[in-house]
Amino acid sequence: MKNMVIRASLKNWFQLFYVHKFPAAGFKTTADGAIILQSVSNDIYQNLAVEDWIHDNMNLENRQVLYLWRNSPTVVIGRHQNPWQECNLKMMRQKNIKLARRRSGGGTVYHDLGNINLTFFTSKKKYERMENLKLVVKALKCLRPQLDVHATDRCDLLLNRNFKISGTAAKLGRTAYHHCTLLCSADRFLLSSVLKSPYKGIKSNATPSVPASVKNLFEEDPTLTCQIVMDAIAAEYAICHQIDHHVTLINPTDETVFPGINNKTKELQTWEWIYGKTPKFSISTCFSMVYKHSFLEVKVDMDVKHGRIEVCNINLPEEWLPPALCGELEKNLIGSKFCRSEMTALASALLRSCPQDYEVHRRWNLLYENMTTTLM
Amino acid sequence: MALRAVRVLGAKWAPLPALPALGRPRAAPLPPPLRVRGLGTSALLLAARKYTDKHEWISVENGIGTVGISNFAQEALGDVVYCSLPEVGTKLNKQDEFGALESVKAASELYSPLTGEVTEINTALADNPGLVNKSCYNDGWLIKMTVDSPSELDELMSEDAYEKYIKSIED
Repeated sequence: MKNMVIRASLKNWFQLFYVHKFPAAGFKTTADGAIILQSVSNDIYQNLAVEDWIHDNMNLENRQVLYLWRNSPTVVIGRHQNPWQECNLKMMRQKNIKLARRRSGGGTVYHDLGNINLTFFTSKKKYERMENLKLVVKALKCLRPQLDVHATDRCDLLLNRNFKISGTAAKLGRTAYHHCTLLCSADRFLLSSVLKSPYKGIKSNATPSVPASVKNLFEEDPTLTCQIVMDAIAAEYAICHQIDHHVTLINPTDETVFPGINNKTKELQTWEWIYGKTPKFSISTCFSMVYKHSFLEVKVDMDVKHGRIEVCNINLPEEWLPPALCGELEKNLIGSKFCRSEMTALASALLRSCPQDYEVHRRWNLLYENMTTTLM
Repeated sequence: MALRAVRVLGAKWAPLPALPALGRPRAAPLPPPLRVRGLGTSALLLAARKYTDKHEWISVENGIGTVGISNFAQEALGDVVYCSLPEVGTKLNKQDEFGALESVKAASELYSPLTGEVTEINTALADNPGLVNKSCYNDGWLIKMTVDSPSELDELMSEDAYEKYIKSIED
């Protein structure tokens, strides 16, 4: 495959598509102005920022883009999902797996370098997910005719009738995009472990994920690597749009090609976007603590809005912690982020501010530790 | 409402309610106060809806606009599973994104039809987002907002013009 970086021409190509600056009519190139891009980055936030940039800046009337990208290990939740409900944040912290929220709807997915992401950008009028998926199926069959792959009504791709190899999500705004995953050789064990939430007692209207048995293409045919599959899809796309099979590599940090993109990347990394956009939820949970050889039952109820604690009730035996101190604790939690580091910072601030009572300190510490472990 | 043309405008348009006064016998006594309130409600429902090219509608009553999505839009979206709406007090410019509707097909951005401030959101949608499908012109409204530049209303489409518009984008 001819992978070429032609920064200058790419820049021109994009500039011609700026919605307000240049009318698309000025552009003279391939039959329908289709282009195939591939990201050189494996950073989820940078790669999602490319999607945002193209959505916000390009005029896609009569033009289309296929964008290929892969990420280092990351869990990606849908736009209106609750990360505490969808994944194991604790395990992700330990294994250095990132969390990202995308702008499209749908459920949670796990990405690593063994998973290909494909984004099909079109005008809203040309938005047609099934056509895109048919193109992917055709590319796979072209590569290995014996593969049993088909698209379902939910726009999943199934291998051997049962195993999901691809999930779809989409965003309709000023233009449209449909993106999908494609499992080639992802870490299937890690995938299923991080996509199990250990947190109990969450009630919310957030969009739930639909779990499925998954498989890698590689398990069906060990010669199917990501590169081979991406090449085949690019080739099929090129045939379909009567363009040269030419994949343009892009660098999502290049402000000369994508002016303003680094701000988009930063926004996607903020706590306010990743956690703060979680639909309002409540959590009601119990845990037991061991203190001086005896068990202690604690019940915690919280309402969380925009990722911040709005209502907080902690029930524990009065003789263990005086209600006034417990009330102080609840008061301090209200308004704070529902997140481990903020809770820890809050706990230490509270401890510094209270009278030097060693026993109370120990109890508060124990309570905080247990709460953060149970809740987040 | 951003979406692609899928279906011809069907017969699902919410029928305009008949005025309670019509058909009542002349000799009938004066309507009780309840009737007067009934008339007021009908007047609200009759306030002409104006449409954007992104398939939102707005109807303005006493300086407050009620915003929702059109029947064409809800049909194209399919079952709405989550409504993301702004906070009361959010200031919007015409065409600003003010939220998103997630359906089984996609997350669709919502765009403000006018410049103004959000005064109320439809809290019933939190537990029942399907109201957008069931009753897009009544119970499935999205937000209420002030109308800061009444002249912007003139830039929106009337019901007739909107009907022609969706026919044109389907071709």
